[in-house]
Amino acid sequence: MPAASAIKVMVVDDQTSMRAMIRRTLQDLGFKDIRDKGGAVEALASIKTDRVHLVISDYNMPEMDGLEFLEAVRNDPVIGKTVFIMLTGSADKEVVQKAAALGVNNYVVKPFAPAALKEKIERVFGELV
Amino acid sequence: MRRVAIVQGEYHVVNQSGVVISTLLGSCVAACLQDPVARVGGMNHFLLGEPGADAPVNPADMQRYGVHAMELLINALMKRGAQRSRLRGHLYGGANIVAGLGGIGTKNGQFARNFMQTEGIALDHSDLGGTQARKVEFMPYEGRVRATLVMDQPLPPVVRPKPMPVFQPTGELELF
Repeated sequence: MPAASAIKVMVVDDQTSMRAMIRRTLQDLGFKDIRDKGGAVEALASIKTDRVHLVISDYNMPEMDGLEFLEAVRNDPVIGKTVFIMLTGSADKEVVQKAAALGVNNYVVKPFAPAALKEKIERVFGELV
Repeated sequence: MRRVAIVQGEYHVVNQSGVVISTLLGSCVAACLQDPVARVGGMNHFLLGEPGADAPVNPADMQRYGVHAMELLINALMKRGAQRSRLRGHLYGGANIVAGLGGIGTKNGQFARNFMQTEGIALDHSDLGGTQARKVEFMPYEGRVRATLVMDQPLPPVVRPKPMPVFQPTGELELF
C-alpha cells in the first residue's frame, strides 16, 4: 500500500476555487507534495523539470485542453508514464473515449465527491495509507 | 414571457429575450451571471459552498455545492458564447432563517463572495444575509434582476420571542 505522502501530485484546473478544493481533498487523504497550475501549458513545463507521480487535470480548459495535455505527456519520453487522471463533465463521453485511447489512467466525472476522487486514485495506486 | 423556475442544485442558461429564471432562496445562494456583450446569462442555486470529506458520492448531490454549481454555470455560459472575462454577476440569498444552524447562510454568502473575487468575476450587486427568504427573478438576455423578500416563511423556533421585523418592501429592478 503506497503512502499518500510519498506521491507527488500536480493539479491542473483553470478554476482557482476548484484547484483549492482538490488540494484540500488531497491533503485530507494524506498527500503532502501537491502543486497546482491554472493551465496545461504551465503544468506541462513544470512537470518536465520537476517530475510528479500523479497528474489530476481538468478537461475543459482554454489554450490547451485536458486531452492535448494528456497527449503531450504521453508523447514525452521522460514523463510519458506519469499517472494521469482526468476530470470531465458528465456529458463528455466522447472525451472519456478519446482519453482512454490516449492512455489516461482513470477519470472522474464532475461534479465529484471527495470520496470519488479517492476511489479513482486508489484504483491506480492501490489503497492509500 | 417564458418562466423557468429552478431549485436547489439546478442552473439554467438563456440567450433569448423574454425569459425569466426564478428561484426561492433561504440560506441557499443564487448567482446570476451575464455576459452583456454575448447577451447570455444564467442563474444557479446552491445549498452549501464545498463538500466535506464525508459528502455523498452521487454527482447529482454534488451540484448542490457552490464550487461545482458555479463551474457548471460558467461552463454552460461559455458553451453559449459567453467569455469568462466579460462575465458580471449578482449574488442573492444566504439568509440565516433557521436558528441554530451555525450561520450557514452567512457561510454560503462568504463562499459566494470569495468565489467571485478568486475567479475575477465582477460583482455588480449582492443582497446576502439577513433572516428572510428571497424570491429572485432574473432576465438574463435583458440583464435585469428583481429580488424581493418573502414574508410567509415559517418562523424558526426561538428561545425568547422577539418582535417581528417591520416589513420594508425592497423589491428592486436592476440593470447590469
